[in-house]
Amino acid sequence: MSGTQTSAAAAAGAGAEIPAAVATGSGDLGAPLYVAWQLTNECNLACLHCIEESGPGKAFRDELGRVEAFCVVDQLAAQSVPYLSLSGGEPMVHPFFFELVERICASGAELKIETNGHFLEPSTCDRLRSLGVKAVQVSLDGASRETYNRMRVRGDFDRAVSGIRALAAAGVPIEINYSPTRFNAHEIGAAIDLACELGAYSFYTGRTMYTGNAVKTWRAIAPEEEQYASFFEVLRAKSVEYRGRMRVYFHELGLLEELRYRLRHPAALLIVLPNGLVKLINALPFVCGDLRTQSLEEVWSNFQRAWHDPRVAQFVEDLAEDPRKTAALHQWVRLS
Amino acid sequence: MKLSKYTKFRQEKFGGVLFETRSEKVFSLNPTAAAVVSAIGSGDDERSIIERLKTRFDDRDGAIEREAIEFIAELRQKGLIED
Repeated sequence: MSGTQTSAAAAAGAGAEIPAAVATGSGDLGAPLYVAWQLTNECNLACLHCIEESGPGKAFRDELGRVEAFCVVDQLAAQSVPYLSLSGGEPMVHPFFFELVERICASGAELKIETNGHFLEPSTCDRLRSLGVKAVQVSLDGASRETYNRMRVRGDFDRAVSGIRALAAAGVPIEINYSPTRFNAHEIGAAIDLACELGAYSFYTGRTMYTGNAVKTWRAIAPEEEQYASFFEVLRAKSVEYRGRMRVYFHELGLLEELRYRLRHPAALLIVLPNGLVKLINALPFVCGDLRTQSLEEVWSNFQRAWHDPRVAQFVEDLAEDPRKTAALHQWVRLS
Repeated sequence: MKLSKYTKFRQEKFGGVLFETRSEKVFSLNPTAAAVVSAIGSGDDERSIIERLKTRFDDRDGAIEREAIEFIAELRQKGLIED
């Protein structure tokens, strides 16, 4: 799991960019458009900036079993959810990762895998390609071995790069995710250049969040505001430089602004936790359902109501007073 | 004519949604536009789609035909459909 506040945010405020488009919000939709599924909390790495509390030996005791996970996939297919991502933790350490990938791809949904890239052997990449995975997003937080390995404890820059090269060789579309810290923010330009050289078609970044494992390491990793200013300046320039070759996508908004926007325009996105609980959005502690015991339809209906729960708006406004409230995002609050 | 590789369409009560999953852009469609995209998804050609819409929506002044042609051109220009 990466450390930026949103990745592919898109998930769906509706866009009215074509003549026949109509203005809608996620509340008008019969089902989510995007499901971001954190398959497991287990990870082979112990990254300093991780926004989850993932790491070696950190799998939840109550993660969904094989039959339960398949049931979730089947419900998503029945509701024609067009787009899913699998993340973690590290999704590729999950015991039935490939079975799930196969089932999701066979259902007709587009699937993105979000990984640290340490398990991308050539044969694995060929398999992902043949199953029809839409893209693999690899976290590459640095343009050098020194910075990457410092941030990604137990991680190996060369192995991640080698994994990305294997994806390119297999013809799997590549996205790169980058989490800024005080000791890698200056490498953003070189990292974007490297991503393009490796064959990525998209590059994502944003502000690193104060939550998960990052809470414990914050003093060591949090970029200064001046660093962020330079960081975003480089991003603006690079997004122009790479136009037409690679999409450089970044969130410059702070978390508070993003959440205030989401209160008015909830994305049609469900965040599914490894144990089947469903969060409103990653940057809030609120849980609106449980796919172990509730149908997707029921959870989607709860999701619509939950965004109007006064506790949600209150939490967002409290963040204005105390931005460090995000430290408690993993102490889930059930709204249903 | 068909939806491009990474474009997904789903019917909704208000019409439909078109989701370009590579750029992650979402377009909400009115019922006429949804009918066009649904027909494209079924593999129909442009002329037969327009003829069917004209009948279905009683296109006496030609407005439906003009809008459908314009809409299909826009879909093509945005890379949401391919020939």
